Amino acid sequence: MSAPRKPGSPPYRAATGVLALGAGLLLFLPLAGLDRFFLDILTVGFLLAAFAGSWDIVGGLAGQVSLGHALFFGIATYACALLTSLAGWPFPAAAAAALLLCAGAGAAVGALAARLTGPFVALFTLALGELAHEAVLGQTFFSPRGGYSWGGEGGIPVALPWRDLSPWASYYGALAFLLLSTGLMLRIARSERGLFWAAISGSELTARASGVDVSRYKTEAFLIGGLLAGAAGVGFAAHVGRATAADLSLELSFQAATFAAIGGRGTVAGPVAAALLLHVLFQGSGLGPAARVLLYASALLLVLRFFPSGIAGTLRERARARRMGGGGTP
Amino acid sequence: MNELLRAEGIEKSFGATRVLRGITLSVGRGERVGLLGPNGAGKTMLANILSGLTPPDRGRILFDGREITRMPMDARFRAGLARTFQIPGPYPSLTVLDSVRVAMLAGRPGRSAERGGERLEEDLEAVLVRTGLFGQRYWPAAKLSQGCLRRLEFARAISCRPRLILLDEIFSALSVKDEGDLSGLLRSLHGEDGISFLLISHNPLILEQMCDRVVAIEDGRVAWEGKPADLPEVLPWAAGHGHAS
Repeated sequence: MSAPRKPGSPPYRAATGVLALGAGLLLFLPLAGLDRFFLDILTVGFLLAAFAGSWDIVGGLAGQVSLGHALFFGIATYACALLTSLAGWPFPAAAAAALLLCAGAGAAVGALAARLTGPFVALFTLALGELAHEAVLGQTFFSPRGGYSWGGEGGIPVALPWRDLSPWASYYGALAFLLLSTGLMLRIARSERGLFWAAISGSELTARASGVDVSRYKTEAFLIGGLLAGAAGVGFAAHVGRATAADLSLELSFQAATFAAIGGRGTVAGPVAAALLLHVLFQGSGLGPAARVLLYASALLLVLRFFPSGIAGTLRERARARRMGGGGTP
Repeated sequence: MNELLRAEGIEKSFGATRVLRGITLSVGRGERVGLLGPNGAGKTMLANILSGLTPPDRGRILFDGREITRMPMDARFRAGLARTFQIPGPYPSLTVLDSVRVAMLAGRPGRSAERGGERLEEDLEAVLVRTGLFGQRYWPAAKLSQGCLRRLEFARAISCRPRLILLDEIFSALSVKDEGDLSGLLRSLHGEDGISFLLISHNPLILEQMCDRVVAIEDGRVAWEGKPADLPEVLPWAAGHGHAS
C-alpha cells in the first residue's frame, strides 16, 4: 500500500501528471458557464473528496479500518455551530478551536484504538461514531435569541461573517482546500511516516519486530486523519451554514470507506478522485437518496470485480508487475 | 566470556498450564547458542519472552547489563536485540527494498547521519546484496518464495546491526540450496561481524553444525546444557529419533 519511494519514478510522474491535469480542468470548469446548482455540487464534492482522503490516511495507509470517521467531521461542524451561535465567537476562532478539538479527539481515539486490531478497530470506531450521532440527534433546545428549536435532525446554525457568499468564492475556496490537503496527504504518504503506516498495515508483528513503535504511529494516523476530516468539516460548516446530525452519520463514514475501496485503499489520490467523480455523477443526476445508494453499491461491486484493489491500487499493482517482468528495474 | 543476554528464572503459565518453569540461560558476546527441545517444550514461548513479544510471569532479562524485562519489542530491536519468526510475516504490499528500509529507519532512531539519504541507500544495498535479495529488491514481498522470505527476515533482522539475533526455526521448510546459503550467511555474520545468535530448533543436527553451546529444554525446564557433540548421548529424544521431524 505504499506509494513509490522515488519522486522521479514513472508511476510518480504519471500520478502527478494526472492530478495536475485534473486540477487544471477544475480550475477552469466554472468558466464553462456552470449554474449555481452544479457549482454547489462540485463545492460539496471537493469537501467530501478531502474527507475521503482523510479516511484513507487512517483506513488505507495505516490499515486501521474506521467506521466512525464522520465523528471528526461532525465534531468540527458542531464546534463551529455551537461556538459561533451560542458562545458568540467569531467564525475564524471557532474554526481554529474546531480543528484543535478534532486533533485532540483523533489522538484520543487513536490512543484507545492502538490497542486493538482488525475488526475490533472497526467496531470500536463504529460505536464511537454512533454514540455521538445518537447524542446530537436526541438533543433539542430553544435558541437563546428568537426561541427557535435547535438541535435534533434540524441541527444548529453556524453564524457566518458573510451573507450570500458568491458560489464562485465557495467553489474556489473548497477547490484550494482540496488541492492543498491532497498534496499534504500525498506528501505524508511518501514520507517515512507513510512507510511505517504501510508496514503496520501489512503486519503489525513484523513492524514491531523491525523497531516500529506501532502504538505511536497508529495514534498519529488517527490524529492526522481526524484533523484533516475536521478541516473538511469546517469547510462544510462554512459552506452550508449549519451543523446537522447527518454530519456524524454512519452513512457518511461508510461513504468514505466505499470511495476508498473504489479508488484504491492507501493510494490517497484514488479515494479523492472516486469521491469527487461519484458524488458529482450521482448527485448531479438528480436521483433520490435510495437510488444513489443503489448506484454506489453497484459501482463498488463492479469496480471490485475488475479492480480488486480499487482502481488506482490495481493499476499500481499492474505497473509494478510489469516492472518485475522487465527484470526488476525501478 | 562476557554475558550479552541473561534470562533468570523465567516462568510463564496459561491458566493451569505451566509453559516455562524457571528457565535460566545466557548468551555470551560473539557466542552461538542453540536452544533445543521437542515440539511443545516452550522454545518459541521463550523466544517471545526474550524478544519482548510476551511478558514473563516471573523472572528477569538482562541485555548488555541492562534490565529489559518490561521493554517493548520495538525498543529491544533498537537496542540491538533482533529476532526472526518461524513463520515470516512479510508486508504484502511493500517491496523487498522498502521492507528492509522500514527496519533500517526504525532501528536507527533520532536524526543521525546514518539515516540520511545516500548513506542509508548504500547500507540498504549492502544488506540486500549480502542476503542475496538485491535482484528482487523491487518485488512485492507477497511474491517471494519461502527461501526468499527467510532471507528477507534475515535482511530485516541485520539491518540495524544487532548484537544478538534470536533465530526461530529458520531452516524449516527450506530447499537444500537455501539452507546452505543461510548457513553460510550465519557463519559470515558471526565470523565477520561478531553477531551472537540464539538459534532455536528441534533438530539437533543443525545445532551441532552451527552452535558453540546447546541448551536443551523439556517441559519448560532446562534439561541439559553443554557442547553440541555430547547431545545424543545425554538426551535420547535429541538423537534425531522420534522428535526430529
